Amino acid sequence: MSEHRPDLDKLLAATDGDAGCTAGEGVLDAYVELELAGKNPAHVYPGTAIHLRACPGCRADHDGLLEAARRFGGRAR
Amino acid sequence: MSDDSATIAPTRLDSESGRWVRQLRAGHPRHDETVAELRELLVRVAVHELGRRRLQLGSIAGPEFDDLAQQAADDALISIIAKLDGFRGLSRFTTWAYKFVIFEVSGKVARHAWQRHPPSAEELSWERLPDAMAPRPGDRAEQREQLDALADGIAALSERQREVFVAIALNDVPIDVLAVQLHSNRNAIYKNLFDARRRLRAHLAAAGHPVTEQDAPRG
Repeated sequence: MSEHRPDLDKLLAATDGDAGCTAGEGVLDAYVELELAGKNPAHVYPGTAIHLRACPGCRADHDGLLEAARRFGGRAR
Repeated sequence: MSDDSATIAPTRLDSESGRWVRQLRAGHPRHDETVAELRELLVRVAVHELGRRRLQLGSIAGPEFDDLAQQAADDALISIIAKLDGFRGLSRFTTWAYKFVIFEVSGKVARHAWQRHPPSAEELSWERLPDAMAPRPGDRAEQREQLDALADGIAALSERQREVFVAIALNDVPIDVLAVQLHSNRNAIYKNLFDARRRLRAHLAAAGHPVTEQDAPRG
């Protein structure tokens, strides 16, 4: 048996203003760009910030995109 | 749910992004080499992202791993070219483009994980709280009552809400794997999960056991 009981507040995370997956997907690149610029994307995209805290699939995509943009950048020749 | 994208206006492209967009348009003298350059970047991102999600891929390696990366990059490239006019300049072009390959990898990894290890009947069905959540002898009376109320609330959810909540929240089934299993998509599954969580919070509050931020993990 696990010694740790999951946090009920996280288990039942459902916050008003959640943008949902589809809306978040549309602005994920802009959200990440703000993070890369050292800004707080939650000021511009509050619904996406809420969503990323609650949706494991979108959070994984966000983390991957942030890492890719940091690591690979990219310039046209 | 609210839509963050509804109020965001397009912005002027930075010079590098503008160059990508111009050179990717059909007829530009550097079109072919720019497509090849973008594809090369997308493959690198796909390989990196597949590596990041390796735990879900099991033993896949070598040519099969490379094929998956190539497929993700190719599929992303098709979407990027088709949606070039939809790039609004809210990010650098490459960040926008990488988003497509991340989504492709996400979908392909989910399908692969589902083929390799589809959710079991136990992970989808509801009989009782899993051991990690069940009341324990050392619990305070109100904790036991809260968990009992949670179990009652789960039993009262709609069949789809219960299936989704039990799989994702209680059994850690990845949301995209569950979407494949249920012939659905991430957004619809998330809506089921969101509604289930709202109903459970309301149920616990009505039973006199609201969930607060003080309900922290216990060791």
